[in-house]
Amino acid sequence: MGRLISRRLLTAIPTLLAIIILSFVLMRVAPGGPFDGERPLAPEVRAALEAAYGLDKSLPEQVWLYLTRLAQGDFGPSMVYRDFTVGGLIAEALPVSLLIGGCALVLASLLGISTGLWAALRAGKWQDEVLMLGATLLTALPTFVTGPLLALIFGLWLGWLPVSGQNDGWNWLVLPVIALALPVTGAVAKLARAGLAGELGSDHIRAARARGIAPLTILRRHALRPALVPVASYLGPAAAALLTGAVVIETVFGLPGLGRYFVQGALNRDYPLVLGVVTLYAGLIILFNLFADLIYGWLDPRMREG
Amino acid sequence: MSEGYAVRNLGVRIGDQLIVDDVSFTLAPGEVFALAGASGAGKSMSAMTPFGLSAGVASGSAMLDGIELVGLSEHELSRIRAEKIGFVFQQPLTALTPHRTVRQHLQEAAMQAGGAKPDKAAMVVMLEAVGLSRPDERLAQYPHRLSGGERQRVLIAAALAHGPRYLVADEPVSALDAALRGEIMALLVRLCRERGMAMLLVSHDLAGIEHHADRLLLLESGRVAEAGPAPQIATLPATDYGKRLMAATPRLTEPLPSLPETGEVLLEVEAAHIHFPKPGWRRGRIDAVVDASLTLAKGETLALVGGSGSGKSTLGRAIAGLGPMASGIVRWQGETLPPRQRRNAGHRRLIQPVFQDPLASLDPRWNVADIILEPVRWLVPEDDQHERAKDLLEEVGLPRDFASRKPASLSGGQAQRVAIARALSADPEMLLLDEATSALDPLVADGVVALFGRLQRERGLSLLFITHDLALARRAAHRIAVMEAGRIVECAAREELFANPQAEATRRLIAASG
Repeated sequence: MGRLISRRLLTAIPTLLAIIILSFVLMRVAPGGPFDGERPLAPEVRAALEAAYGLDKSLPEQVWLYLTRLAQGDFGPSMVYRDFTVGGLIAEALPVSLLIGGCALVLASLLGISTGLWAALRAGKWQDEVLMLGATLLTALPTFVTGPLLALIFGLWLGWLPVSGQNDGWNWLVLPVIALALPVTGAVAKLARAGLAGELGSDHIRAARARGIAPLTILRRHALRPALVPVASYLGPAAAALLTGAVVIETVFGLPGLGRYFVQGALNRDYPLVLGVVTLYAGLIILFNLFADLIYGWLDPRMREG
Repeated sequence: MSEGYAVRNLGVRIGDQLIVDDVSFTLAPGEVFALAGASGAGKSMSAMTPFGLSAGVASGSAMLDGIELVGLSEHELSRIRAEKIGFVFQQPLTALTPHRTVRQHLQEAAMQAGGAKPDKAAMVVMLEAVGLSRPDERLAQYPHRLSGGERQRVLIAAALAHGPRYLVADEPVSALDAALRGEIMALLVRLCRERGMAMLLVSHDLAGIEHHADRLLLLESGRVAEAGPAPQIATLPATDYGKRLMAATPRLTEPLPSLPETGEVLLEVEAAHIHFPKPGWRRGRIDAVVDASLTLAKGETLALVGGSGSGKSTLGRAIAGLGPMASGIVRWQGETLPPRQRRNAGHRRLIQPVFQDPLASLDPRWNVADIILEPVRWLVPEDDQHERAKDLLEEVGLPRDFASRKPASLSGGQAQRVAIARALSADPEMLLLDEATSALDPLVADGVVALFGRLQRERGLSLLFITHDLALARRAAHRIAVMEAGRIVECAAREELFANPQAEATRRLIAASG
């Protein structure tokens, strides 16, 4: 297991490098730049700005400069939010995204897995059909529909929960977390149901039944772990996406999370900001895929060798 | 309370369909009783349904030690299974839970009837009793580390762990390597005798059980065909069905059937080597075939026999140009055939394959005529194509109107005949038969083997007959080559091979098939 972790972390370095360099080059190839405003800048001002941010150097030089700074933990200055560093912006926005995403992840996993397992135990009955229809609906509805709808019903009509911004309590979290968790819940429920329903028909479950083991014990001891393998493989990348901020939810509920900076940064050609968020996102994806693989190994020992 | 298991007028339904009808038998304490018959005859259904382990619903009566099983709830049946019976299934590869160690399986099994948790010494004794090597190490291992035979031994140990009076074994050896089957079957019977257990055995292989079972019941389409002492039913059946089944089961003791004359040598393989890189990140290579040489004459059948993993299929595929060959020469009538990437249609026409799983080798979306004519699609004028397909169907013993069918509507034997017709449409000189009958029911397989014989006589075909079944090879092949660990350890005419076996592997195979 230690070998798996160290090997995966080592292969993560070239992957990250490739992602950073590719994003760097792609952004420069796209038309426009950080200083192309409505009013054109005076040429000498523009030259001074470009020199200050190192944009006058050759592309390989800029990449190298960025990478050496990054190695020291410096994401560089933002080119649009002039008084802020990218590191500072991320440090401010990431906790909000982590909180919402983390809560949504826990909610979606618990609700999705339990619903899916319950449906699998009633496979073919009407409860199963209803639940799976609901799960399909949840995965199909985009958050820009469910988010405003939830805000409308529970915020404006019923007035139970705040619909925008943060407050000192916890109830501002409820609506964005639910809106973010819904589609993931649907997907997890479908995967868990398919996993368990397939597992219940397998030979080793029949062998356990032949031993007269009680149905609940069979479920817990023999069926659950193999049934959750597809859920684990889905939740790895899904977790990374949830935790790094959801731009739609942040916009709908007016929350200062990371997702907004990502989109704003891309529109403004704020090169360091976009690169910072991309690097963070890629790092998290790699990390969570590693977690998913470790969970696989626990769920099914055959995957520990490979 | 009467001891033993008595089944009276058992019926099994799935939905509206009556699968088993009016089956009666008794299993006395300590007896080994076998249910046999062709596939679909209702053997497993008759054995498993009264215990609640099949999709069927039982009617009639099944009394176990004076308790009526038919009509009991799943909860009550579950308790009876836990206390009185041990089960052994066909698929050792999948019947163990992948994330639970051998130790956990044995502990669960030993405690299923409320017994105490066994300590390590007790579990080692259990594994030793089923002949598993290095039992100490095995306890901590997960199932995927064990071979099929080792897993079946663990499953047998688990079935016995709670000290049951009855053992129900559903095709316990048919998924295993041929060399292991006799050994595991003998182990099961010995354990029953030693512990005074009664065994209900389900098997399609008459030859495999005739020496092991006390009594035998033959099922035909869900009904009893005949029943009696096992050696008698297996060798001197009274019914027509029993006779056909017996004739379809090759035995080493049967008289050698005559085979057609052979002509000059067509195929020569010299010093073939085949290896594969080890999977994953590991260094090194797996030597699948080492220094294999063989010849095949016109109208001759050469059987390539060996256990699983011996390299027989890999060698066959390489000869036909379907798989890689690292070095070695393949000659056809003295002319060297190029490596597989450079073989042209003319080379490929010579050797046509027929595979083990007929349905998997037919495209489900094509109709039978298109499948059969695929090799010659551009060579036969469009107007003649349908007649050609129908002629080929007739040649392999299928009705001409099968041409418009889809593979899904064919039985296993019919599908295999379509695959044979496809091989014939290229007008080959030689057929590569890769376990071409082992997925089929004994009666159907026997018909397909007979078809190969007829095609050989009529067309003068040469056959490379790859099989794990030595008795079948003896019945069908002029010469037999025995493979072990990638090498051809012996190759001789069939009379000579059995009269005077040279290699250790040959002697082991003969002993295992006897």
